[in-house]
Amino acid sequence: MAVFELQDVHKTYKMGSETVRALDGVGLAIEPGDFAAILGPSGSGKSTLMHVLGFMDRPSSGQIWFEGKEVSRISRDRQAWYRANRIGFVFQTFNLLPRLSVVDNVLLPVSYSREKMPDKRERAMSALERVGMAHRADHVPNQLSGGERQRVSIARALINKPSIILADEPTGALDSKNVEKILALFEELVDEGQTFVMVTHDNEVAAHTRRIVRMRDGQIEEDLRR
Amino acid sequence: MNFILGFYTGIVNGLREVWAHKFRSFLSMIGIILGVAALVAMVGVVQGMIQNMRIYFENAGGITRIFVEDMEPPVEQQPFAHLSPGRTYNDALAIGAGSTFIETVAPQLNIGWRRIQYGREREHAPLRGVGPERLSTMNQGIDEGRWFGDLDMEQASLVTVLGGHVVRDLFEEGESPVGQKVKIQGKMFTIVGTLEYLGTDEDRRRNPYYWQNRVVYIPLTTAMKRFNGDEKINELNIFIQDVSVMQDAIAQVENILLQTHRGIRDFQVRTMEEQLAEFKKLERSFTLALGGVAGISLLVGGLGIMNVMLAVINERIREIGVRKAVGARGYDIFIQFVAEAVVISVLGGIIGMIVSVGLVHLLKSVVTSDEFRIVLSPDAMVAGFFFSVTIGVAAGVYPALKAASLNVIDALRYE
Ligand SMILES: Nc1ncnc2c1ncn2[C@@H]1O[C@H](COP(=O)(O)OP(=O)(O)OP(=O)(O)O)[C@@H](O)[C@H]1O
Ligand SMILES: [Mg+2]
Repeated sequence: MAVFELQDVHKTYKMGSETVRALDGVGLAIEPGDFAAILGPSGSGKSTLMHVLGFMDRPSSGQIWFEGKEVSRISRDRQAWYRANRIGFVFQTFNLLPRLSVVDNVLLPVSYSREKMPDKRERAMSALERVGMAHRADHVPNQLSGGERQRVSIARALINKPSIILADEPTGALDSKNVEKILALFEELVDEGQTFVMVTHDNEVAAHTRRIVRMRDGQIEEDLRR
Repeated sequence: MNFILGFYTGIVNGLREVWAHKFRSFLSMIGIILGVAALVAMVGVVQGMIQNMRIYFENAGGITRIFVEDMEPPVEQQPFAHLSPGRTYNDALAIGAGSTFIETVAPQLNIGWRRIQYGREREHAPLRGVGPERLSTMNQGIDEGRWFGDLDMEQASLVTVLGGHVVRDLFEEGESPVGQKVKIQGKMFTIVGTLEYLGTDEDRRRNPYYWQNRVVYIPLTTAMKRFNGDEKINELNIFIQDVSVMQDAIAQVENILLQTHRGIRDFQVRTMEEQLAEFKKLERSFTLALGGVAGISLLVGGLGIMNVMLAVINERIREIGVRKAVGARGYDIFIQFVAEAVVISVLGGIIGMIVSVGLVHLLKSVVTSDEFRIVLSPDAMVAGFFFSVTIGVAAGVYPALKAASLNVIDALRYE
């Protein structure tokens, strides 16, 4: 069963008299274990697609199946549940809360998951371990470098054992040395079976993946597996 | 369960936020603090006034007292109004003998301020002529010696009973006044008794019984014969058995007085009801004014909280976006911000209660006088606290709703 299956998904924004077609008939299937890069010029709809996949936005029309369930019209609260429990999201700018410690940031999705998790602290520590940040658990984000912050945000994405990790330009704010390290981490996760989709502008970054989806004007122009 | 957990987390987060922004939190609390303090202080002032009025009212005999006052007779009686002897000692005797609803009749002749002299010590005091029954109508007992008896009345004896303040002024500590003589208007009076000192404070502004402690009593007949030379009295108080027989008692007293006044209506029987109604009205209007002012100040406090919360939410749009992106529902965000409002208003309420204690003490030391006393009311403190918390929470609801309804993506994009 596919993790995601999209059929003729549209997302339009009305700007006065003009309509922007951010997504214009997207059809796509993401299989378990996929490691995909989404490429495309600025404004082609990559972030919009990620938001729709990440249960942060709803399509204007079309269908989306998530693990076999049609989810394009579920309630906001249900969307929040999926974000907390089934999806890990990694942002370009990390989006950590500055006043929470590293471990509390990692635990944030757990506090909203509404599922029982008795060993949550151990889970958070092992997620931090996984990204090599366990030794900084009690620091606050400001005390970390960009690369380290991105690791913490990946640990946060991992904490609820998501079906898929979505990353919107996760290396965009990092220097080349850190890019290498983060990519190595992604590859490890994928090798462990994690389904992973990321948006990037960088062909070298995309070269690490096993599938390349090119977008243009809200449509999928090309979808190549390797 | 979920709700409680969410709320608990919210309270913890709220405390952390308040602590992280001490100054801002303090600013948002100021309204609530002042609101609570103002409420407690005002309740203190009003309760002090009411307490004073109540003491005054009870000193005046309470609700079972009726009294006879002089009145202009009706026009048709005016040509022969001189036939009436006016209010005399005889009225009191006739009412005492003729009425069935009456507990005590207390006629009185107030002579006015006189000089009281003991050796070289002198003192000015209001001099009152009263009968033996008068003691039972006072809220005061004998300290030493005795009160007047029937024999004093019959013989119009030169005896006197002194109020506690007079005793303290004229006599040394430990010196017994009973048996000593004082000179009043050229006559030597033997002191037969002294009255209890009422209240504790000797300061006129702090002791509501101050004036009562200054009175000097002599037998009514002595006052009539040896000072005024006639039978007239200028106060006639009647204490009835029970409020339920008030109307009958008034009718009886009027009938008896019409007889003794030879049919001339130069008197009127009055009750304390008018005073009581006046007193109640005053109490009510004070309470309303108080409620209004306190309500407004707390409302302003609430607006302060709302204002700060709105500003805070603007600063924290990104945080809200992040929380939502990792799974917070609108409801979770709502609870978080309401919990912060709860923390702010509870802390503000507690500080307000502490400040109110200080404020009441300050007011007490600055403005106390005999009509203006202030009491610290624990009830008002508790009420102020709960009221302020309610207002604070209500003020937090709108900003919290606003935060809860933010769109995830817009919030994340917000700079
Ligand atoms: N909230 C919005 N209101 C109106 N138009 C929007 C909104 N969000 C996105 N768009 C428009 O939708 C189109 C797709 O935007 P999107 O952010 O998905 O592009 P992108 O591929 O991620 O671009 P970039 O590489 O620059 O991040 C753009 O033309 C954008 O202006
Ligand atoms: Mg984008």
